[in-house]
Amino acid sequence: MKNNGIYQLIEPGKKGEAKFVFFSGKGGVGKSTMSCTTAVWLAKKGYKTLLVTTDPAPNLSDIFTQEIGHKITSINNIENLFAIEINPDTASEEYRERIIAPMREILDENNIQIINEQLNSPCVEEVAAFDKFIEFMDDPQYDVVIFDTAPTGHTIRLLELPGGWSTTLEKSASTCIGPGASLQGAKSRYEKAISYLQNDAKTSFIFVLKPESSSLLETQRSSDELSKLGIKINFLIINGILPEEACTDEFFKKKKEDEKKIVKKINETFPAMQKLFYLLRDSEVSGLELLEAAGKFLYEAKIEDTKIELLNGKVREFQVMTDQKELYYLLTPLNGTRYIFFTGKGGVGKSTIACAASLHLAEKGFRTLILTTDPASHLQNIFGQTVEHEPTRITGVDNLYAARIDQKKALEEYKKRILDIVKDNDGETKKSVEEDLSSPCAQEMAAFERFINYFELNGYDIIIFDTAPTGHTLRLLELPSDWKGFIDLGDLTKKASDETKNKYANVIETMRNKEKSTFIFVMYPEYTPIIEAWRASEELKKQVKIETTLVAVNYLLSQDSGNNKFFSNRRKQQEKYLSEIQQRFKTPMIIVPLLECEPEGIDKLRELGRTVFCGKKNRCKFTPISLSDGIQPER
Amino acid sequence: MTKMNLIIYEGVMCCSTGVCGPEPDKVLIDLNQSLKKLQDEFKEMNVIRASMTFNLKLFFENEMISRLIKENGPGILPITTINGKIVARQKYLTYAELKKEVENSQSRIE
Repeated sequence: MKNNGIYQLIEPGKKGEAKFVFFSGKGGVGKSTMSCTTAVWLAKKGYKTLLVTTDPAPNLSDIFTQEIGHKITSINNIENLFAIEINPDTASEEYRERIIAPMREILDENNIQIINEQLNSPCVEEVAAFDKFIEFMDDPQYDVVIFDTAPTGHTIRLLELPGGWSTTLEKSASTCIGPGASLQGAKSRYEKAISYLQNDAKTSFIFVLKPESSSLLETQRSSDELSKLGIKINFLIINGILPEEACTDEFFKKKKEDEKKIVKKINETFPAMQKLFYLLRDSEVSGLELLEAAGKFLYEAKIEDTKIELLNGKVREFQVMTDQKELYYLLTPLNGTRYIFFTGKGGVGKSTIACAASLHLAEKGFRTLILTTDPASHLQNIFGQTVEHEPTRITGVDNLYAARIDQKKALEEYKKRILDIVKDNDGETKKSVEEDLSSPCAQEMAAFERFINYFELNGYDIIIFDTAPTGHTLRLLELPSDWKGFIDLGDLTKKASDETKNKYANVIETMRNKEKSTFIFVMYPEYTPIIEAWRASEELKKQVKIETTLVAVNYLLSQDSGNNKFFSNRRKQQEKYLSEIQQRFKTPMIIVPLLECEPEGIDKLRELGRTVFCGKKNRCKFTPISLSDGIQPER
Repeated sequence: MTKMNLIIYEGVMCCSTGVCGPEPDKVLIDLNQSLKKLQDEFKEMNVIRASMTFNLKLFFENEMISRLIKENGPGILPITTINGKIVARQKYLTYAELKKEVENSQSRIE
């Protein structure tokens, strides 16, 4: 065994004592690839290995080209390898069934069905998914359990929960957690899980990142958050490094320079940590072939040769044009405020494109607010100025405001509002309400309420939502319908006021109305981001009756970059996927080029906005009329 | 004096105040407060809130309750009993109503 310190981190200990390995990092950095690679590698060494993904938009099935889903599945042709994709809906069903099972003794199927519906509250889902995740930290029949975790911000929230829950469990018997009788059992399971996570010999945390400053910032943030919980990151894999010899033209030479600066920063930020740098490839390798190549690199230090041939003549340009008039029709207000949602897999560049769009529209005279719902947002790095919980004006730009949902502040506001409702009750009652407010679903409720309130905010022509990665956003967008459905059951408890009901109904109606709302799926032309966006788009259509309006395709290689075989291979691959996107989505397309460096600051964003929304730099003729003349935006 | 039991049998619920949702449930919050007050006034009394989610065992222990639910479905909940006697079904009692019922049954015992 030749490589790299990393092997010690994944090597199982004694028989019957499972080792846990977490792969984490911002979306789209290659976590799934690295965790699958590691799982396959260990299984082939003869270790009984379980691979668990907690990503609500999982892609293990795509990687192993076999149906996996919410059950432990033996992977074809690889002995000792098992995998499961935790499905929050199914986890929630199982969880409810555990509560309901004993009731069958006194209730018939009809009544059981009623109880099941009453228990199907959106907040049970969150608890259930977490419960399922913890289950795998308590199963000694595997030598190694590998977690391909959900994108970072949420992963951390998931890990923070046990601490909070333990207090809830001690204080009160009736929380969201479940049947009182099993509470003590749950408590010790959560505590055991947390102690495993803090134990270096038992658990390894490997972070995957791309050589981009947003990815580095995210890793740094996670590292800080985790260390507060007594958890250490053990290793970094920096994925997608440009091969030096492929950077044969000005564009990529500059890009490589930019990359080197970031790599230097990564080394400075994590000086003592072990690292591996993994090169970008010229073609898409998928399935087992990719996993084997990556395994050889990670665990045997074998590097593939890259041969670079220069190309003669001009490189072809993509022939995709979006009708500008149509684009503006979809992005500007027609019937009151226009709500624009940018969503998609982590790491596809949602925030950057959303910021460029917001600046562009603001400079056209529309009073625009950009709001991020992603707890791991890097909006402030893109704008180069702080973005707060309350909308604040972006300095140096007329008409542009930005805000983020700060989970902690949202929770404080929510608690304050609820406690205000019971302010006339006695101290004991207030105390029990406060205890219930420390349950994990209160946190989600708080952020959700904040999100909902933006639909009632006056004074903006356009509100742009920059959302968290797909799975979490789907949940957020489905919540108004889920809660409304739950309230409509008209149970004795959980009666909500008409005001709340109307509020939810209004949000649902607004999101479905194409004259008011625009849903944009952002992706780059590779298989995983496309398929993930496609599934999410179908689910939105099915569950909430929201149609996708536009797709934005990011990181396209332009004609004046990449004058060699390496990049022409990648370009061919991109062309193939562009036509696949057109065939699947059948919506207008926004094309965003790969840039020399990440656009940060107003000037770079402005340039990007013009390239994307006007076709050419500095040639934009569209002048709209603002609807909000004279009205001051609310805060 | 025999020890009194006040039990409220309730349907499934997420938490006892109803805040695990869009808004707190005023009825449940008032109930919480009424029960606390009663407990202070009648220190010897057992006050129990039995929800199907958390204390199903208590439902099984009471044959009458099990039978009522079997026959009428969970829609018959909440049921309030004092010393095993049903004093309210399908609704929660207010503090004044509860107090009256408790006093009545106390006088019966004495």
